[in-house]
Amino acid sequence: MSAKIKGFCCNYTASVGVDALKEAGLVPEDFEMERLPCTGRLEVPQLLEAFEKGADAVFVAGCMVDECHNLSGSRRASKRVGQTKKIIQELGMDQGLVEMFFVGRGETGPVVDAVREMASRLEQTD
Amino acid sequence: MIIAERKPMNELLDMISGVKRLLVLGCRGCVAICSAGGDKEVSVIAAALKLGRSRSGEPIEIDEATLVRQCDPEYLEPLPEMAKDYDAVLSTACGVGVNFISDRCDGVNVLPGLNTTFYGANLSSGEWEEMCAGCGSCVLHLTGGLCPVARCAKSLSNGPCGGSTGGKCEINPTVPCVWHRIYDKLMDRKEEKRLQEIMPIRDWTTAGHGGPRRRIREDLLP
Repeated sequence: MSAKIKGFCCNYTASVGVDALKEAGLVPEDFEMERLPCTGRLEVPQLLEAFEKGADAVFVAGCMVDECHNLSGSRRASKRVGQTKKIIQELGMDQGLVEMFFVGRGETGPVVDAVREMASRLEQTD
Repeated sequence: MIIAERKPMNELLDMISGVKRLLVLGCRGCVAICSAGGDKEVSVIAAALKLGRSRSGEPIEIDEATLVRQCDPEYLEPLPEMAKDYDAVLSTACGVGVNFISDRCDGVNVLPGLNTTFYGANLSSGEWEEMCAGCGSCVLHLTGGLCPVARCAKSLSNGPCGGSTGGKCEINPTVPCVWHRIYDKLMDRKEEKRLQEIMPIRDWTTAGHGGPRRRIREDLLP
């Protein structure tokens, strides 16, 4: 059974839809991306719930630190990813299974790289 | 305010072992202000416990609620009815809330979600420091408003110990020696005479050494 990766991104991150990335074979078929108005809206429970609902690895792709459309949204998201890392470690999981990536606005490549990075981490933890 | 922090997840998971339906019950008092047990933290704890239990192959049903306070009887009134369908209630109030629920709500299996740590102030976002020990016999008028009971590692009453170096406490070089600060403060205020006064041996009865403390104001009694 293949590992399931879930990503969260903001309205301004990754202009190409996930379906197109799947069709191009750039991301696994069961990769799931949830788009939020801003990653600053993301809360720790959402990240934990993603694991509980079956994700093996979770990442957040937010704007570059100094280029966030909402000024500090991606920084907030990064802090929440940090909190989630601590909690999943307490639960006996590898904290590398959740990660924050800062990506350029509208760039798809770094999001694909993020999916591949998480897939690689999962291979290493198997 | 009362400062608290979440118990480690493994301790919480041990505590709710065998529980199939859990209510995580927050408090909007001090613990919400110090980001330990308000609505947001209740959601985090509930999600983490669900994940922990799901990983161990024993899924759990968890609901969330938050009371205005858990240390006043009027807010606890609905709790026995709210809690009747749950195997346990994990309170994220301070220890006062947990005790009060246990005292007042028969039939509610209440568990502590937090470790209650101290009475402190919010230095900046995410940083709190102990300022008061609740000793019941305040001497702040003699010490420039700085508490030697709470803020001196030895709770000394009459000046610093020999471990005070360069204004820092011997227990940790990042901790200011409160007696050094009291000296500076009283000198600034031209109240150096206070430093000559010897505080008598402290009566710790008011600090709880005489058993649980109770305060009664006759004029407010029903």
